[in-house]
Amino acid sequence: MGYFSKASALALAIGLLGVASPAWADFWSDAGAKYKGVVLHGVTESTPPSNFIKDVLAPEFEKKTGIKVEIETTSWDQMYDKAIKDMEAGTGIYDMVYIEQDIIYAYLARNFLTDITKSLKDMPDLKAPTYDDANFTSFANYFKNADGDLFGVPMEAFLKLYLYRKDLFDDPKIQAAFKEKTGHDLKPASTHAEYTEIADFFTQYGKDNGMELWGSTAQAHTGHPASWYEFFESVAPTFGVYNWGIDASKNYAASVANGGTMNGDKAKAAIKWWLHLRDIAPPESPQSTWTEVGTTFAAGRAAQGLVYGENGAWIQSDATKSKVTGKVGFALPPLEPGVLEEAEAGKGYIGYYDGGAFGLPITSKNKEAALLFLQFIGQNEVQPDWAVAAPRITNTATYDDPKVKEMDAKLGGYYTMLKDKGKLFAGAPPYPFHAQVREATAPIFYDILTGKIGPDEGLDAMAAKAEEELTTLGYRK
Amino acid sequence: MKLMRRHRSWLSVLFWIAISFVTLFPIYWLFVISVKPAVELFSTPELLLRNVYWQNYIDVLNNPTLRGYMLNSLIISSCNAVLVTTLGFLACYALTRFDLPGKESIFFWTITNRMAPPAVFLLPLFLLLTQVYRIGDFKLADSRIGMILVYCTFNLPFAIWTLRPTLDAIPRELDEAAYVDGASPWTVISDIVFPLARPGVAVTLILTWVFAWNEYLLAATLTNFNARTLTTGLSEYVTTTGTAWGIMAAISVFTLIPALIVFSLVQKHIVAGLTFGAVKG
Amino acid sequence: MHSKKLGWLLLAPTLLILGLFGIFPFLYVVWVSFHEWNPFAANPAKIFNWAANYRKLVFDAQFLASLGVTMAFVFFAVVSEVIIGYLLAQAFMKDFPGRAFFRTIHTLPLIMAPIIVGSIWKLMTTPSIGIIPYMLKHTVGFDLNIGTSAVAAFAITVIMDIWHWTPLVTLTLIAALVSLPSEPFEQAQIDGANKRQIFWHLTLPMIRPALIATVFIRLMDAMRTVDEVLMLTGGGPGSATRYVGVHIFREVFPRTNYGYGSAVSVIVLYLTIVICWLLYVSLIAPRTRKGSS
Repeated sequence: MGYFSKASALALAIGLLGVASPAWADFWSDAGAKYKGVVLHGVTESTPPSNFIKDVLAPEFEKKTGIKVEIETTSWDQMYDKAIKDMEAGTGIYDMVYIEQDIIYAYLARNFLTDITKSLKDMPDLKAPTYDDANFTSFANYFKNADGDLFGVPMEAFLKLYLYRKDLFDDPKIQAAFKEKTGHDLKPASTHAEYTEIADFFTQYGKDNGMELWGSTAQAHTGHPASWYEFFESVAPTFGVYNWGIDASKNYAASVANGGTMNGDKAKAAIKWWLHLRDIAPPESPQSTWTEVGTTFAAGRAAQGLVYGENGAWIQSDATKSKVTGKVGFALPPLEPGVLEEAEAGKGYIGYYDGGAFGLPITSKNKEAALLFLQFIGQNEVQPDWAVAAPRITNTATYDDPKVKEMDAKLGGYYTMLKDKGKLFAGAPPYPFHAQVREATAPIFYDILTGKIGPDEGLDAMAAKAEEELTTLGYRK
Repeated sequence: MKLMRRHRSWLSVLFWIAISFVTLFPIYWLFVISVKPAVELFSTPELLLRNVYWQNYIDVLNNPTLRGYMLNSLIISSCNAVLVTTLGFLACYALTRFDLPGKESIFFWTITNRMAPPAVFLLPLFLLLTQVYRIGDFKLADSRIGMILVYCTFNLPFAIWTLRPTLDAIPRELDEAAYVDGASPWTVISDIVFPLARPGVAVTLILTWVFAWNEYLLAATLTNFNARTLTTGLSEYVTTTGTAWGIMAAISVFTLIPALIVFSLVQKHIVAGLTFGAVKG
Repeated sequence: MHSKKLGWLLLAPTLLILGLFGIFPFLYVVWVSFHEWNPFAANPAKIFNWAANYRKLVFDAQFLASLGVTMAFVFFAVVSEVIIGYLLAQAFMKDFPGRAFFRTIHTLPLIMAPIIVGSIWKLMTTPSIGIIPYMLKHTVGFDLNIGTSAVAAFAITVIMDIWHWTPLVTLTLIAALVSLPSEPFEQAQIDGANKRQIFWHLTLPMIRPALIATVFIRLMDAMRTVDEVLMLTGGGPGSATRYVGVHIFREVFPRTNYGYGSAVSVIVLYLTIVICWLLYVSLIAPRTRKGSS
């Protein structure tokens, strides 16, 4: 696993213990004394950032405070289901739940989570001197309510970026062939037309030369919501269709007739563009979720593609999983004219800023101790090693750490991209009905992918279905 | 005559080897996945292994959490299999030997417990195990005993339905003769009926063990820290940052070992020395 | 002949456990199925809505389609499993070298957790890089893509199920065949009956209860298949392999549609019971009743 391996995580843990400054250590042992013997329980997905909490931060916290932390790691769907059942039934199993950025609004709507900002204000004894809400990057804004109070301590944040194969793009022979064929210079695409041109070229190039190489990835699974996400999170926004084409200010309209954009001309252009890419992508694409897209790119089967940031880093750096280490370039996704301007003006966004936070369920029976732990993992001090072990950054100060800068260089500027361009990306729309509308419309989306329904009629049907579901749920009046 | 028979038996060995290829191929492929680095899984497949990559196995062996899961799985599935086979055997004895009113309806009702689509029943089970079935601080949720009992919902009906034909086939005259000789019901069950039912009991034990060993959804919802089983451990490797196919495969290869031990212990009872000329064909 | 008390005593633990963990959850599900309940709706409470969920599902095209493909899946999978399973069980009755070894090999698929079975088959059938599509393409030129072809995906789920569960049929039938008394068969041979006559008039009637029990178990288990298919195809392409188990899973888990999901489950449970009851009444009950009286 390259530098994400367990051995290096352990080494980091030992290093971390030495680094922590003694003045703050007093706070932790004093504050923790009252809760000695308490066991905190958390649930999260088994990803590198979470494993760092489990393997490194939790043991260190226990050493300092005497509070034990048990983290249950489980699969993506199970994690939600378990957290929701616990909070819905008020069982109080969990003191910390992982909140992916897209489910926070559902949890907030149900008052499932404790207001961290307010709780720390009410209980100043618990406030750690090294913790401050203001330390986080703008990503933390996705975990705040209307008053600006924080409901989750960010623990991971990624951008879904445009990855391309530098080695292929820089190959003079390929450059010449591209120039000859298209009349343009080969460089990372900034518009959709350029992207398609490059994709067509490489798919043909792979075929002509008997290579296992295609022009683009496509997260186009015909039975898994990953494809739905690729379209609505990553493709549609680059055509100027935001928030899934649902307009909350117009009574949650989705269809053009009611003021939405889900089946507008832009969305229809977007899906046709993407379907063409799917057709010239590697043949496994109709079975590809985020997992397979990452693996396909890592196996060197695609010249370019949109890949989640959590995968981008290991593709670039982990030779046991990737054949293209050091050969990956990161760029902004290709856009329609005008979209970048809208994003810069704050009226739109160009792709998905995903990640998650740790929240404190209102049903927890150990809120005070859990607040201590949440502050502990939110400190600037623990961030750099965490960023090196798992490629995520949540605190502004982390970018300037020498270790992180060194890693940024290795990753080919991924962190710089996160720092400078992060604001152009956005998390999921603030909908409490995220999974519900997705599940209601996804079967139609799969039918578009299999060709059972045309893209235009398909989007019309999806917009109608979304409105129907929103009416059933009571959001659309 | 003897020569011909030997000839035929070798033919059937050939037949079995051919069939075994089909059965074994996916398992062979599981092994192939387990000894390949992730980077090689998404390239042109090769039927034969060129080099072997043991890192997945090393990772699994060095993972203390998985050892805990393995122990939980072994305890839960073994206790559950013995429990349901015993209870199922007693229930079948009652169903076949006693003239109980409505027994056919009861018999049929037991199996309906297995028919329920699992997803929706998780919520009531979760509520029952966390909030209703508790003594003081002890909850059935996230405990081995809780899982052993919950697994009865699908395994007990199975045991009853596979054991009943076996017990039906054992002539009642045998028990009655023993009763005439003054044997107690318990002696009749353990000394007369049980030995004759051994093939059926062995198969029931194996299969209920397997169902409990492989169960995923209930364990995933009803356990958290103390009673997590191997199948829930496997699902941890399916994440948004990728699925660790190699590790999952290595774990599964490890799970074959205890399963094979259980099989070899129980299997020999399946053929309790009875073979029939006629069936040989 | 014996005291009924003893009979009830022997049944009591079974009835108690199934009551505690079977009846109560079932009643809860039935109760929920009469409510509009989605914890992430604008109103997250349970709202009693009579039989609205049931009325809705009668016209729910997605549910009906799901039921249709499930029936096809169950039919093809279970029929193949029973035929192959019986033939293998019969073949295992012969004496040949290495019998125990081969029997162990043929029980191996059972030991695989469904989630692993789904993973193996997914990796074996991934378009272009799975071994099966790769071999098919390079030997017979057939392009197998379970991501685009509904028929291919359906067939692979059926084949996967056959691979996984035929050993169960084989094992239970071996147990049944082994327990058969030998006299009738010897007598039949003496009387000059041929193989086919022996099968239809002796073997089949004698193993019928075990055979039907096995068919039942496979039938109801196939009706509720979730893990393998979710892992292999996710229910796709489109809704081609969205079997009711998968459909309910998606309704209840990500969509948190508890009220409607409960109604669907109750109906599916009811249908399974009806199918099994019809089979039971027509095939087993008359015989057992006669046998036990």
